[in-house]
Amino acid sequence: MNQVDPEVLDGVLEMLNELAGDWEYDGEITPDTRFLADLGLESLDIVVLGTLIQHRYGRLPFAEYLEELGQRPVEERDVTVAEVVAFVCENRQPSLEEV
Amino acid sequence: MGPTLLIGVDGATFSVLDPYIERGVMPFVGDLVDRGARAPLRSVMPPLTPPAWTSLVTGKRPGQHGVFDFFQKEQPDSIHFQFASSQDVRSPTIWSLASEHDRRVISLNFPLMFPPPAVEGCVVPGGMMPWRQLRLGCHPPGLFDRLRALPGFNPRELLNMELEIKAIEGCPDDEYADWVELHIAREQSWFEVARFLMHEEPAELVGVLFDGVDKLQHLCWRFIDPACRPARPSRWEREMIERCERYFRTLDRLIAELVTIAGPTATVVLASDHGFGPTHEVFHVNSWLEREGYLTWADGQNGAADRDTQVGFAEVTRHVHALDWDRTLAYAATPSSQGINIVSRMPGSDRPLGEDARRTIASELGDALRAIKRPHDGRPLVAEVWAREDAFPGPHAALGPDLSLLLADGGTLSILPSDTLVARRPETRGHHRWEGIFIASGSGIREGAQVDELSIVDVAPLILHRLGLAVPDDLAGRLPAEIFEPEELERRPPRRSAARSWTESEPEPADLELEPDEQAAVLQRLRALGYVE
Repeated sequence: MNQVDPEVLDGVLEMLNELAGDWEYDGEITPDTRFLADLGLESLDIVVLGTLIQHRYGRLPFAEYLEELGQRPVEERDVTVAEVVAFVCENRQPSLEEV
Repeated sequence: MGPTLLIGVDGATFSVLDPYIERGVMPFVGDLVDRGARAPLRSVMPPLTPPAWTSLVTGKRPGQHGVFDFFQKEQPDSIHFQFASSQDVRSPTIWSLASEHDRRVISLNFPLMFPPPAVEGCVVPGGMMPWRQLRLGCHPPGLFDRLRALPGFNPRELLNMELEIKAIEGCPDDEYADWVELHIAREQSWFEVARFLMHEEPAELVGVLFDGVDKLQHLCWRFIDPACRPARPSRWEREMIERCERYFRTLDRLIAELVTIAGPTATVVLASDHGFGPTHEVFHVNSWLEREGYLTWADGQNGAADRDTQVGFAEVTRHVHALDWDRTLAYAATPSSQGINIVSRMPGSDRPLGEDARRTIASELGDALRAIKRPHDGRPLVAEVWAREDAFPGPHAALGPDLSLLLADGGTLSILPSDTLVARRPETRGHHRWEGIFIASGSGIREGAQVDELSIVDVAPLILHRLGLAVPDDLAGRLPAEIFEPEELERRPPRRSAARSWTESEPEPADLELEPDEQAAVLQRLRALGYVE
């Protein structure tokens, strides 16, 4: 399991829960929730979600991440909230306060 | 002076509007022309929604504002592209400049407004904003919930990427009718948002963008342009002609209502980001690059698409895995950019490709593109080719494609592999042209004046002037004095201001220049690979 910053996980979960009410999604969003199979997102949703996440956590290699996902077999392209958070935590640049 | 109302009509062209005005389909726009000044409005390269609207709202060209396409290179030397966002606009806009000077704004459905800038007023972004995330795209916080309480408000109807993709890639005949109806409903929805906010959140600058014209003209050009309509339409074709007419009639009514709400003292500016015209051709540019020895498909990636008129609009990450990067020197990443990129590293190595080598390759590609003949009539396929330096002068040129091209029939590039380099669509489609529309009316603006072509970058200075603001001196556009009555500029003399420096969050591109001996080595390597004679 990758190192996951609980603050990032909480922040992403909070953002998704805020949005999910508009999608008529009734379930609880957890670290194990899958973006495509559970939330019914489309590829552009994930691209824009990447923009939002970068807006909040700084520049990330999101295009490379999406390209890597696109290379996987169709049945393995879905990702969980925890996997995206792990990607953010692994790749985010340290903030000035952290340097 | 009253508010300034900017009504954007994506892709509108006088060659379509004038016949509709003459036939009484768009009576209000006809009145607006009679009451104001009109001109062709020349777009930028490429004449495409994100760069062109960004030019309109910044008064700058793409090399100055940094937006070239729906998707942006992450870095000048990267092969990865990402969704273009408001953070890619490297310039103040009419929204931010007005807001900084205590003018409230409403900005609805403009592209590149997500994440929303923190202006004084309201923003609902458009473009490729997915409806599922619209809540976070609305500014200020809480606005989305206020809109959701409106009767009939449906974010899925406001922003639907399916419509965009079908406009470019096509759809079955039996889906056309519903597709046109969806656009009528969508324009009505944006109007309802505008009406609500204009009443509840009065602003000095109100911008509303209607984008259905672009989409209808892409797919339904043969039902819209009188010169292209079938001489003896079938029942279905007649129905489609009437549906498209109904769309334009609705649009005219919505524009009329917006102008009425804005009030008699308002300045009204109706503008498009680019024009439109008929086309049949699709040029499979990556397959051409392969034949010329500049590109190699990765194993298993050179299979032709289902239809040779598909362009690969929504496949922005495709080229990354579809190409063999050890043997590729030039490629097109998106059909919309109308551009070819040259890699920044020597194929098969980590060595940077020097600027001289890049220019040599670009020059050779340009010559080869100009020499291509259309199979059906033997005439040149490509009307014009621009090197990056010529197409995009400005500090952000390195983020644009190395070459930009214009097909002779105004057609589309495809990034998909195909055995047919130049495919012809059986039916006439619409595609972008340079000449958009400009109509302005209001106090001090000449009535019934037809002036010479303006540039899309002239609109921002006009809007700033109407808001009583100084025009920054780094804008590419000018205040179009010819649209005013003689005494107007004496009453309200234009003011200039020093340009504000723009803070980059990202460092400028690294210099990839090589020493002369390194350049020679690179060119030698290219020759060995067969890329350069």
